[in-house]
Amino acid sequence: MSIRFHRLRKSDEDRVAMSRRMFLMTTTMAGITTNAMMGGTAFAGSGVLNEAQSSSLLRMVQDIYPHPDVLQLSHYEAIAATVMKNADADADVAKSLTDGLGQIDAKAQELFGVPYVEIEDPDAREGLLRHFQNEGFFQGVRWTAYFGIYDNKDIWPLLGYEGASAEHGGYIDRGFSDITFVPEGPTLEERMAEVQS
Amino acid sequence: MAQFDLNDDSVVVIIGSGAGGGTLANELAQKGIKSVVLEAGKRFDISDIENDEWTMFQKISWLDKRYSGGGWHGSVNHPTLPAWIVKGYGGSTIHWAGVALRFKDFEFKTRSTYGAIDGANVEDWPIDLEEMTPWYEKAELKMGVTGKTTGMPHLPWNNGFRVLAEGCRRTGRSDYRSGPMAINSVERDDRPACQQIGFCMQGCAIGAKWSTMYTELPRAEDTGKCEIRTDAMVLRIEHDSQGKANAVVYADKDGNQHRQLARVVCVAGNSIESPRMLLNSASAMFPDGLANSSGQVGKNYMNHTTGGVYAVLPEKVRMYRGTSVAGIVGDEVYHDAARGFAGGYYLEFLSLGLPFMAAFLEPGNAGWGRGVAQAMEAYDRMSGVWVLGEDLAQERNAITLHDSEVDQHGLPVPIVSKTPHNNDYEMTAHMYETSTQIYEAVGATDVYELPAYPATHNMGTNRMHADPSKGVVNAYGQAHDIDNLFVSDGSQFTSSAACNPTLTIVALAIRQAEYIAQEMNAQNI
Repeated sequence: MSIRFHRLRKSDEDRVAMSRRMFLMTTTMAGITTNAMMGGTAFAGSGVLNEAQSSSLLRMVQDIYPHPDVLQLSHYEAIAATVMKNADADADVAKSLTDGLGQIDAKAQELFGVPYVEIEDPDAREGLLRHFQNEGFFQGVRWTAYFGIYDNKDIWPLLGYEGASAEHGGYIDRGFSDITFVPEGPTLEERMAEVQS
Repeated sequence: MAQFDLNDDSVVVIIGSGAGGGTLANELAQKGIKSVVLEAGKRFDISDIENDEWTMFQKISWLDKRYSGGGWHGSVNHPTLPAWIVKGYGGSTIHWAGVALRFKDFEFKTRSTYGAIDGANVEDWPIDLEEMTPWYEKAELKMGVTGKTTGMPHLPWNNGFRVLAEGCRRTGRSDYRSGPMAINSVERDDRPACQQIGFCMQGCAIGAKWSTMYTELPRAEDTGKCEIRTDAMVLRIEHDSQGKANAVVYADKDGNQHRQLARVVCVAGNSIESPRMLLNSASAMFPDGLANSSGQVGKNYMNHTTGGVYAVLPEKVRMYRGTSVAGIVGDEVYHDAARGFAGGYYLEFLSLGLPFMAAFLEPGNAGWGRGVAQAMEAYDRMSGVWVLGEDLAQERNAITLHDSEVDQHGLPVPIVSKTPHNNDYEMTAHMYETSTQIYEAVGATDVYELPAYPATHNMGTNRMHADPSKGVVNAYGQAHDIDNLFVSDGSQFTSSAACNPTLTIVALAIRQAEYIAQEMNAQNI
C-alpha cells in the first residue's frame, strides 16, 4: 500500500493531541481495570504473563490498531485476554510471547531508556514494534487483534459497517443509493432505453 | 439423477463443475450426451450462502496446499494462497462477481497487434471476435447478462459507483455503466431480481447472480444424462495403448480410489489444477505429461495485471450497500504503444466489506499501525475500484510441481509462479494515476493503492494455438496430441485480455459442446 495523503489530512498537532489523549486514557484506565475492577489480578489471571507483561501486551494491541476515538479499552482488553488464553493453552506460544515481550522491552531500553509501556510518543512505540513485525509472536498478536476488531460484529457499527443484509431484504429499500453529494444514476427508463436502442 | 457404472466407457468425464465444466455438462446433457462430472469439492446449495466474508472464505475456498512463487508481492505476503478460487459444486461461479464482458477484437490478436515483446510469449488466438460473437450471445442469454442481447436493463447505480461515475463524468470520460452483469435486474429464468444485498463474492444468497450451482448443474442432473460426483478429487487421467484418454482415477472423501472409464475427457479444474492434472498424468508414452508435446502445459500463467484503489470522500458513501461490482469503466481498454505498455485495462467499482478491507489495505506483515487504523476509520466514506488489465503471457510464469512436498492425496503440491513483466509495472502505474484523478475530481481526500489480491482470474496454462508446437489445444479446446482430451476452462486462453474471463469461458464451453457432439456423432472421438 502506498498511502497518498491529500488536502484534508489532520494537522500534526491534532494527531499528537489525539494520541496523547489516548495514551493517558488507556494508561490510566488500565490501572483502574487491572487493580480495581479485576481485584488486582491482571486480565483475570494469566498463568503465563506477570502484571508488567500483561500491561505491555495491552499496550501492544492498542498500538497495533489504535482507534482512540472509536474503541473502548475493554475492546483491547478482550483481545489481550484472547492472546493470553491461547498462551495458557500452548507452552510454545507462551514462551514465544514472553520472550517477545522481553525483547520489546530490551529494545525499548536500548533505544529510549525506558520500558516499552513508558514511551509516550505513539510514533516511537510503533517504530519500536516495527522491529518485531516479522516475528511469529508479533503476527500472532496482530492477527488476534485483527479478528478481534475488524471481524467483530459488535465493533462493526462503530466503524460504519452494517454487515449481513440478506435477512433484511438487502439494501434495495434501505439506502443502497441514498447519497446526495453526487448526482443520481440513470432512471429505470433511461437504463431500459440504453439496452433496447 | 443418473448413476453411471465405473466401467461405462461411453460417458464423457468432465473434471470440474464451474463456469467451464458446469456449462459443458449441461450443454451436453441437453443434447442427450451422457456425462460424469467429477468435482473435487463438496456439494453446496444456496442455503450454504452466508453474508460473512471470512465464514464464506473458510467454507468455499480452495485451501489445499499450494505455494506462491516468482517476483510478485504475494510470494511474500500470500505464500500459500496464490489464487482465490472455489472448491465445491459450482466452482468459482459461486465467488465470481458477475461481470460479463466480451473480449475486444484486438485482444484475440495480441501478437499481431502488439508485435513481439521481449520477455513475453504473446500469441494470437486461433479464433476471433467475429467467430465468437454468436457464442457470446448464447452465453449472455444462458447466463442472463444485462444489456442488448437479453434486453435486460443494467442494474441501478449504488452509492459507491455513483461516486466513481461522477468522477468519470468530471474527467471527461464516457464509457461507464452498471453492466454488463450476469445478475438479474428483473426476474428472469426462474431466478429473482437483485436486491442489492452485497456480498456477491461470498455467493449470491438469492440466486440473482448466475452460478452453475443453481442453474447448469441441477438442470444437467434433471435430464437424467448427467451424474455429478462431489468430493471426487482427480488424481490422474489414463490412456490406452493408442494414446487415447480412456479413464480417470479419483479419490473420494474417504480417500478411496476409483477409476471411471471414459469415451472423452474434459478438463475444467481451473488454470492451476488443470495443468497440474495433465502433468501428474505423465506416463511412459507421455513422459512430460499428457498433451504436452509443445512443452506449454503449465506455462504462460496469466492472472491479470491488477491492483486496487480506494478513495476517501468527504461524506458517507457506505459502498458495501448493494452489488459488489456495481459499475465498469471501459475508457482505457484500447492499445496505444505511446502509453508505454501493451493492451488496455478496466476500472471496476468493487466494494470490500470491513474485514477484507482491513486485511487487504496493506497485505502482509506490515499491515498494521496508525496508517491502517486511520484509514479504517474512514471505511464508510470510501469508494474504490479493482483495476484489471492485459497480463502478457510469459513462459516463466507457470504452474510447476513441488519436487518433494505432496498434498493429502499424495500428489505433488503445485507452485504458482508469477513475476510481473515490465509492461505490468507501466500499466499498473497508469491505472493508479487514472483512478486517483477520477476520485480527486469528486473531492477525494486520501487515496490508497492496494497491490494485487490472490488471483481470481487464472488463465493460459493450457493455451490454444493453431500451431501444435506453440500451444496445447486447438481452436475447440481439443488437445493437439490426444483427440478425445479437451480443456474446457480458462486455462485454454491464449491471452488474458483486459476483461473478466467468465463470459468467454462459458461461450467457449457452449461452442466446445457443439463440437464434441459433432465429433462423437461422426465417430471421430
